[in-house]
Amino acid sequence: MEELLPSLKGILKEAIDIKADALKLAISMTVKNNIDGVVAEPEEIIIMLKMYGGLREDIPMEIIIDNDAQNITLKFQKEEDFKKVEKIMETIWDNAVDLLVQVMEGDISRIKEIPNLDD
Amino acid sequence: MTDPNAIENNPFKELGEIPAKKYKNGYNVDSTYITVRDGVKIAATICLPKGLSPDIKIPTVITQTRYWRAMELRIPFRWILDSMVSNAPNPEVVTSRGYALIYTDVRGTGASFGSRITPFSEEEVKDGYDIVDWIIAQPWSDGNVVSKGISYTGTTAELFARNNHQAIKAVIPGHGFWDPYTDVAFPGGCFDNAFIQLWSFLGKNLDLNNPKVFRQVMPEAWLFVKGVKPVRTDKDLQMLNKALEQHSSNQYVYENTKEKDFRDDQLSDGSSFDDFSVFERKDEIERSNIPILAWCSWLDSGYCDAIIHRFMNLSNPQIAILGDWNHGAHLPANQFFPYRTYVTPTPKDKVNAWINFFEKCIYSDGIQGKVIYYYTLVKEKWNKSKVWPPIGHSYQKWYFSENLTLTREKPENDVGDDTYNINFRATTARNNRWWALLGFPITYENRIKVDEKLLCYTSQPFQEDTEITGQIVLCLYLTSTHEDGAIFAYFEDIDENGNITYITDGQFRLIHRKILSEDPPYKILIPYHSYKKEDSAPLIPGEITEVKFGLHATSVLIKKGHRIKIAIAGADKDTFLRYPKEGKPIITISRNKIHSSYIDIPIIKKEIK
Repeated sequence: MEELLPSLKGILKEAIDIKADALKLAISMTVKNNIDGVVAEPEEIIIMLKMYGGLREDIPMEIIIDNDAQNITLKFQKEEDFKKVEKIMETIWDNAVDLLVQVMEGDISRIKEIPNLDD
Repeated sequence: MTDPNAIENNPFKELGEIPAKKYKNGYNVDSTYITVRDGVKIAATICLPKGLSPDIKIPTVITQTRYWRAMELRIPFRWILDSMVSNAPNPEVVTSRGYALIYTDVRGTGASFGSRITPFSEEEVKDGYDIVDWIIAQPWSDGNVVSKGISYTGTTAELFARNNHQAIKAVIPGHGFWDPYTDVAFPGGCFDNAFIQLWSFLGKNLDLNNPKVFRQVMPEAWLFVKGVKPVRTDKDLQMLNKALEQHSSNQYVYENTKEKDFRDDQLSDGSSFDDFSVFERKDEIERSNIPILAWCSWLDSGYCDAIIHRFMNLSNPQIAILGDWNHGAHLPANQFFPYRTYVTPTPKDKVNAWINFFEKCIYSDGIQGKVIYYYTLVKEKWNKSKVWPPIGHSYQKWYFSENLTLTREKPENDVGDDTYNINFRATTARNNRWWALLGFPITYENRIKVDEKLLCYTSQPFQEDTEITGQIVLCLYLTSTHEDGAIFAYFEDIDENGNITYITDGQFRLIHRKILSEDPPYKILIPYHSYKKEDSAPLIPGEITEVKFGLHATSVLIKKGHRIKIAIAGADKDTFLRYPKEGKPIITISRNKIHSSYIDIPIIKKEIK
């Protein structure tokens, strides 16, 4: 596992297409790798945004999951919510790997910043 | 870590070089339920080399775990990584060598059905037999099965041999116990409260598929893992949910033992600690004559003693390896080199050595006889012996003397003693050899400060390099103000600059002090205490009593000019239960002509070696 860490950021960016549509207030993720089973459950998306993205609050959003297309679409009512998540998604993979590395090295300070999750 | 330049007698070199890969394209993963004799369904994940042609038959490595055979990763990691990425043994390494690799959840755990009252129950062990029957019926199986594991899975690997199935050809128990009472739950009769409680808590939450608890205790796992992986066909999770329901009647060691004291105390199902030990199954393991490669570390809990007891007591062809790493060899643990950051051999080196051992057992004559490889700290060299204790082994007494010294001469004075008010704040903290069973690093830091709370005796500088290998025996003549209590003894090295380094320790609850003359249930090299209720007795306050017990085995070189120190405590608050539960005992240790307290140190004599 440790030997994979340095390449994880690149693998994530390569494997997942993220598109943001400011007009439709929608963000979509498409996983290019073949996945056995469901691509994600809706609650997993929220956990991902809070755990790795630093989201602190509950943002109203519609989560549409297309398992066949391996696509997830997040639709927002408010522009400010869309912008908040759009900004998170710009760095979420880097943050996820950095957090994992930090914790594996024994520094758990950032774990304390993650809000309670229904996981 | 062991010194990578320590080539001579290095078991990882002697077990052979890394051969070319037979399969280079990775592996396929599948999972299924295997139904065993009483109808319980055991979840199994199977890894086969990619490109295996239908007419090729291959042997199987099996690992039976209670910590989830496979994990469902969190997104986004699930989208890019194979779910077996952090499994041990590494499926890439094993399958590339031409082996099938099977991981199972033992009954009552993971995605398997059933429930459990104790670990390593007879039913759990017998499941291994049924699983082998299933394996050898598979079209890819050549009829040979071997098992390996570390810690829990190490013991399941060793007990796999007890099934005496003709398809089982070799086992590799890594960091496993021999006697769960003394090796882990009650070392010296003292309850390892911290580990047993935390281990039971983690086990319960694993069995209920509740990874939320990892946030506090294993945050890296929490960030990465969503839960146990269901078997492939269980898309709607119905099977998994039914299995989890059955786990809700599981029982856990902490609840079963927190109020217990004695080896023969009955657990809730009427069994005792010995019933799920390895030594109770000795005859059946020997009958199989299956070759064993066991490995462990001097710094790992009481498991360092377990590997020696296994070596001394099992007649099976055997290789034993004792190094200087933490539990499972993920981290270095040699206290003389605290700044080392990685372990040698690497995980891949180890797995390749293990596979070479399996190849010998499956395809050639196997191994003959017994050999133990042990690493000597400070000397930073591997040694090899066909017997334990090694040739040249003898004991050297060091007496407790006035001015808190250790001397070779027995005291001549008629009176002499030292009084110590037990300090219940004394601790080795949470990175000691007992907490290490959870995979934590092992660091005994700040010994100068720690020892300020203890009663310490120190020798003069050694006149020559001296190798100590084996179990130190501590003999105290003491009185106490209370009927119950415990002794925690730390054996340390002091260099020319006064730096103190922990070497090993021992603990002992004083009510168990009776030394029995009858044969113990297995061969040991230290005084025999039964830890049974009938042999226990409270101390009589004010009356001198002999307390003699062994410390955990070690191998270390005390360099010329260094001194040795024995530091005595009455508590280790972050790990062990407090004895007595209430009160503040004062102990007095005698050091005079009549009652000469001493330590007996196992020396390896140079000239004989």
